Amino acid sequence: MSPLLEVENLSVGFAGQLAVDSVSFELSAGECLALVGESGSGKSVTARSLLGLSGGKVSAEKFSVLGQDATAMSERAWQQMRGNSVAMILQDALMALDPLRPVGREIADALKEHSSLSKPERTAKVREALEAVDLPEPAWRMKQRSSQLSGGMRQRVLIAQAMIGDPQVVIADEATTALDSRLTALVLEQLRALKNAGRAVLMISHDLAQVAQLADRIAVMRAGKIVEAGDTDQVLNRPQHEYTRTLLRAIPSGVPRFQPLSLAPPKAAVVAQEPAKPARMPALVVEDLSKSFGKHAAVQGAGFVVQQGQTLGLVGESGSGKTTTARLVLGLERPDTGSVRLFGEHFAPQREAQRRYLRENIGAIYQNPLGSFDPRYNVGQLLTDALSAGRSKRGASYRTQVSRLLEQVELDPALGSRNPRELSGGQRQRLAIARALAPRPKVLVLDEPVSALDVSIQATVLDLLDRLQQETGTSYLFISHDLSVIEHMSDTVAVMYRGSIVEQGATADVFGDPQHEYTRSLLTAMPRLR
Amino acid sequence: MSRTAKILGTVFILFWLLTALAPGLIAPGDPLAVDPAQAFHAPSLAHPMGTDESGRDVFTRVIHGAGDSLYIGLAATALGMGIALVLGTAAALAPRWLDGAILRVLEALYAVPSLLLALLIIAFTGPGVGPAIVAVGLSTAPGYARLVRSQIRSVKNSEMLEAATVLGRGTWLKVQNHLVPNALRPLLALVTLGIGQAVIWAAALSFLGLGTPPPAPEWGAMLSAGRTYLHLAWWLSFFPGLAIVVVAAGATLIGRSLGGKVNAA
Repeated sequence: MSPLLEVENLSVGFAGQLAVDSVSFELSAGECLALVGESGSGKSVTARSLLGLSGGKVSAEKFSVLGQDATAMSERAWQQMRGNSVAMILQDALMALDPLRPVGREIADALKEHSSLSKPERTAKVREALEAVDLPEPAWRMKQRSSQLSGGMRQRVLIAQAMIGDPQVVIADEATTALDSRLTALVLEQLRALKNAGRAVLMISHDLAQVAQLADRIAVMRAGKIVEAGDTDQVLNRPQHEYTRTLLRAIPSGVPRFQPLSLAPPKAAVVAQEPAKPARMPALVVEDLSKSFGKHAAVQGAGFVVQQGQTLGLVGESGSGKTTTARLVLGLERPDTGSVRLFGEHFAPQREAQRRYLRENIGAIYQNPLGSFDPRYNVGQLLTDALSAGRSKRGASYRTQVSRLLEQVELDPALGSRNPRELSGGQRQRLAIARALAPRPKVLVLDEPVSALDVSIQATVLDLLDRLQQETGTSYLFISHDLSVIEHMSDTVAVMYRGSIVEQGATADVFGDPQHEYTRSLLTAMPRLR
Repeated sequence: MSRTAKILGTVFILFWLLTALAPGLIAPGDPLAVDPAQAFHAPSLAHPMGTDESGRDVFTRVIHGAGDSLYIGLAATALGMGIALVLGTAAALAPRWLDGAILRVLEALYAVPSLLLALLIIAFTGPGVGPAIVAVGLSTAPGYARLVRSQIRSVKNSEMLEAATVLGRGTWLKVQNHLVPNALRPLLALVTLGIGQAVIWAAALSFLGLGTPPPAPEWGAMLSAGRTYLHLAWWLSFFPGLAIVVVAAGATLIGRSLGGKVNAA
């Protein structure tokens, strides 16, 4: 049987720049191919061009979709194909569904377009499709609007929508990126069912560990080119290309603490030795912390201890109360009950003026560092402001200290005159770390510090955080939804679920022998390579 | 802002400042000197902008009128912005009920067309320079106040200010280093734009006979007086009108380029 998709030397250009450069692959029925790459690698453009949606200038030696020559297809022919024989599952379910129409009608649209079924027949078919993706109470749910459904239900609706035309090729473009681990497992299960039913599945993802669960073959993309392609087993276990190795090394799960995830430049190489263990002393003690917003209890009775020089990983899904906990610890919200102590001193609840002298001991790093910088400051001014406690932003006397801070986070001191907006995501996060380090804090609260970064950049930032902890003995409260990051970075772990900490203990214990039901369900959904 | 624009803007401001403060340097004559024998002369070398119905030199009057027109424009904008800063800051920092109350008042004022509000105020106070300033100032205040409020609120609730709190900055440092520059500096451009607008409104009030009383050489009043003779002496209205256009357009251009600079930074 001939492949459903055949692509040979496909290039897509935008204004003279090639976003996709001579890419070749093919995909047959019952097969799953994964295109893996970081942002800007051209994987999404490749996927969109398979639906005639790239928006750029497409050229190829051979480009056939379901046996038709796609280079010569009219817009009308593409419309016939989209949602009918080739379907796409989108990333963001909330954005992809019309908020004002019942989801059942959204799904039925494709049938109206591509079939001659009567209205009752269409309704029955929509219900079937929703049943097939395990949506509870489909007859009732299909009359609801997307805002009335939970995130998981919405994602199922999107899959049903893609499936309704009984497509032969299904493209999943980062279909699990915005989802927490349990929903991800669900979507992967659906994709596996499709594959087993003889559909061709093309997965687009940045996450090698995740596609490994499903893909038969993997193509690794970088800067518009496929740098390596082959069977999943071969790509994962015997990678040929250096970039594939970099990506694999960057996956944090199963890597022991302090072992670098990136190939650090020689000057910054870490001597992998245990830091001189200081006498165990709690740096941060949180007791019985609760906070409600109106009727919604965001955090309920959370308590944990961060030991000096160690990392506590706080893990949970979005909405579980992690960020509120961070804000309570930082004294940005006043707790309803409970207390926070820093090295035995009362930090919260406390009047700002009375605890200000303690502030230099605790710093924070956010997911989006740019929002926390004053937009008028350049890199040097930002750090000078932090070093001088806000009294100066130019002072020449701080120049050497600014350079030293930048070197400490492996940034070029020449960046001092740049605006943070001109920096890359990884550089910005390094700058945020440098600023947080300026007052020499003893505790850092890191709220999803690497969630917005590409895997290989994430690896270098995690390595930097490891190195800084070894050098300075700073304690980390490390908050993330990403289990593999938490596993690599933490000495102890606390699992948060619906505002409460349901389980905590040493990392190896929690990951090796989870006690709570919820932790177990999280861990079974976690993709693992090692 | 480009170098040329900067130089042009500076020259423009300096010229009108000089004109307003020392009109005698540019036009040494007496703007009120009546000479019926010289009435209705078209523009010539002796009278570059012609003469009016009483034989007064229009050029001299336009130059001497700059003081009043600009004074009303500046004072009205300052008054409007002053009220706006107080109300807007109060609303932004106040508890929710007070914020709501201030907002309702501002919305009610905003609903009335500004010129109508100005007319209403003058209906109570009677015409004159002072009332014109108060009228224009009060009617621009609600718009500015809402902007001040939203600017301060957006900066107050920003992650940037939270980051400053975490770094241990006191209230005063936060206000001085982050809140004021980020929230209020963009308003500078707005004020410049507003001056142009206020000059036009002041002229409009005088044109309606509600601002500067004759025979003082105010541009709006001159426009109004010249209207009667428009068919035989166009220059009576044209040159005061041109002065209004030049000042308003100049202020707008400077404001725009300041605004562009703020947005780009």
